[in-house]
Amino acid sequence: MNRNLATTYSSSLLRLFRVYGTLFAGVLIILCFSILRPDSFATLDNVINISRQISFLVMIALGATLVMAVGEFDLSIGAMASLGGVMAAKLAVSGQPMWLCILLPLAISLVIGYINGWIVTKFKVLSFITTLGMGTILGGITFWLTDGATIFENIPESFRYLGQEMWFTIPILSFIMLFLTILFWYIMSYTPFGRRLYAIGGNEAASRNAGISVAINKNLAFALCAVLATLTGILMASRLGSAQPTSGDGLFLPAYAAAFLGMTSFKEGVPNIWGTFVGAAIIGILANGLTMLEVPPFLQDVVTGSIVIAAVILQKIGRDSS
Amino acid sequence: MLQVRDLDKRFGLHYALSKISLDIHSGEIHALVGENGAGKSTLIKILTGIYQPNGGKVFWNNQETVIREPKTARKIGIQVVHQDRQLIASFSGYENLFLGISYPKQKLGLGIRWGAMKKEADQLKSKLGIQLDLRKLAEHMSPSEKTMLEIMRAAMLDCQLLILDEPTAALSDEESELLFELINKLVAKGTAILYVSHRMNEILRLSDRVTVMRNGKIAGTFSTKEMSKDTLVQLMTNQTSSIKKQMQKTSFSNKENVLQLKQVTSKDQKVKNVSLDVKQGEIVGIFGLAGSGRTELLETIYGTRHLKTGQMEIQGKIVSSFSPKHSLARGVILIPEDRRGDGLIVDMSIRENMTLSTLSEFSSIYNIKNQKEKTAVRTWMERLQVKATSSEQPIKELSGGNQQKVVFAKALLSKPILYLCDEPTQAVDVMTREEIHQLLKDQVSHDSGVLFVSSDVQEVLDISDRIYVIHEGEIVAEFENEAVTAEQILQVCYNQRKQSDV
Repeated sequence: MNRNLATTYSSSLLRLFRVYGTLFAGVLIILCFSILRPDSFATLDNVINISRQISFLVMIALGATLVMAVGEFDLSIGAMASLGGVMAAKLAVSGQPMWLCILLPLAISLVIGYINGWIVTKFKVLSFITTLGMGTILGGITFWLTDGATIFENIPESFRYLGQEMWFTIPILSFIMLFLTILFWYIMSYTPFGRRLYAIGGNEAASRNAGISVAINKNLAFALCAVLATLTGILMASRLGSAQPTSGDGLFLPAYAAAFLGMTSFKEGVPNIWGTFVGAAIIGILANGLTMLEVPPFLQDVVTGSIVIAAVILQKIGRDSS
Repeated sequence: MLQVRDLDKRFGLHYALSKISLDIHSGEIHALVGENGAGKSTLIKILTGIYQPNGGKVFWNNQETVIREPKTARKIGIQVVHQDRQLIASFSGYENLFLGISYPKQKLGLGIRWGAMKKEADQLKSKLGIQLDLRKLAEHMSPSEKTMLEIMRAAMLDCQLLILDEPTAALSDEESELLFELINKLVAKGTAILYVSHRMNEILRLSDRVTVMRNGKIAGTFSTKEMSKDTLVQLMTNQTSSIKKQMQKTSFSNKENVLQLKQVTSKDQKVKNVSLDVKQGEIVGIFGLAGSGRTELLETIYGTRHLKTGQMEIQGKIVSSFSPKHSLARGVILIPEDRRGDGLIVDMSIRENMTLSTLSEFSSIYNIKNQKEKTAVRTWMERLQVKATSSEQPIKELSGGNQQKVVFAKALLSKPILYLCDEPTQAVDVMTREEIHQLLKDQVSHDSGVLFVSSDVQEVLDISDRIYVIHEGEIVAEFENEAVTAEQILQVCYNQRKQSDV
């Protein structure tokens, strides 16, 4: 009896660790940096700073999470973000009103993302290959639009508003990030659409037999992913006040790292919104803290990559031993 | 050579095999027959080390042997050719032959000596008299060539006992003849063959002795010479116990059709020219052997398989749009054969699975009404007595029977008028099986009907009002379930085989 109790206790502890392990690791990282750099890391200013730094990564990773939820990958998100920033900047330079500079690229990306999904669902092409191809196409278009040069001349002041301004001393970017995270958490957890996406990712054949339109829902996941990537690109351009033809490319791998880290927390082995948020936050906090510790950038990448792999291994071990 | 004594195998509380004893002599062809679920494949899996028995002993060449894993079986000389081919499609015949055994290496022990490999394989080929181009990739080989290749692969190693599981299932008659020749050559060399087949003619022709299995037990081992097809079938079905219980016979002739098919043919020709009907309140059984097109027929009706020609009416209305979504809207539901593969999302909870088809009833576009959903799920869990810790328990943690109850609850939530059930009691315990039967009988009300597919003749007889027999995608017989016996139904199937064998 006693022994039984002990095993249930230890197994529930294990479960707790498995579900919140990544979160604990994040807290641990924060504690370490706070002790090592108490007067620069653990300050309100730096918290606000980090929230702005991670906003791009969170937004683009949310999209990746949606596509992963239906069991696919979108490798074109980096190129999509770059193109989004360039399109918005071009429109702004040509004197279009602000709302058009944002909405038109978003609408275009919605179509591009839907095409990604359509190719995958209609012709049964692996999403890996489809989006790799699409990413190359988008990169080409971006190059054509910019001649490979950064767009920075004649960008109106209003273009920088979303990326640079604050509300109540908090960056607008942070508000947008938080709003989108909550919005997509709600969508994935409390709407029929979210439930269907998870069902498709869980078992496509069973979902089809349950009367779910697998193709349409998958296409929508790709479309939303592209829209989020484009929004990220636009906000990056707004933040910098310029649009580089490769600005989004660097976000692509960290976005998936964040999503994979996220799969190790909250909902085990399932892509989930808050998990992705925590994953992106850990990656952002690491970058921020390691910079403060004056760790050279190349070593930062090594540390970040190692932590992602370690987290996934730990979760697998935890799962097998239960 | 091989002696099996009192072998037991349990899955949970259910005995898949009990007290199995069997002798196989070297150089004999020993046939193993029995209905689906009689325990043939479980026995094979124990002999080849995939399963471990819960009791009993295996003697190999008079020594007690424990076959711990497939590797052990192969090492001591037990080789198997499974029903589903175990070849690597993109490898050539040569490459497949040497799979899993040590390749002839070059002196330094690095590269493979392709020349020596080819020579060795070609020698074996001529010794066995096989005509086969081993340069061909496995994916370009015909079913018969693949079978030959697998047998060759078995012969590459020390092969004292060769187990063949339904080797002729995908072969034409001429190809089967070639296979029989090969088998005889192997036997002449002293190899013993354990031959599993549903085809009575082959067994009578080929084997020296035959063992009949029934419900996980040995019904007897006989010299084939003393057997006839009829006695074998009788032994398999245990005719004496299946004396028809007097069922209350209702007449459905004046009832409306729930489903009517007129000369329905599927695009891939797996279903050919099928005409049948299901009346209100009627349970219609479909019996067919594996690969007869029974699953495909249900899939065609449900809309997961494309229809080419023919007409389908549901409640008297001609159907023009085919997809699971449309079917559900019409009140047609499918209980798929492979519940984990096609019916359930195993990582999701009971609640999420149950309401998947009817999610719109529990939600607006922007919101799932949690309370309403939970109440409905709890009601159904109680009604079907699903054993689980809560509605939030993941499906993967439930037993097979309880998983199947969730599949049924999901179906019942959509208030169906036509139930397409594909082996709904497969791999569930006896209790649940009874519950499922009772459930279907209760649910069939004044305006709904059931199409029930099973490979278990007795089950079809127990539950159906009327029975169709399907063979190679065609309906070959129809019986009112009044005076018909299991034997008669099986006879129709095996006779069809015979006709198509000629």
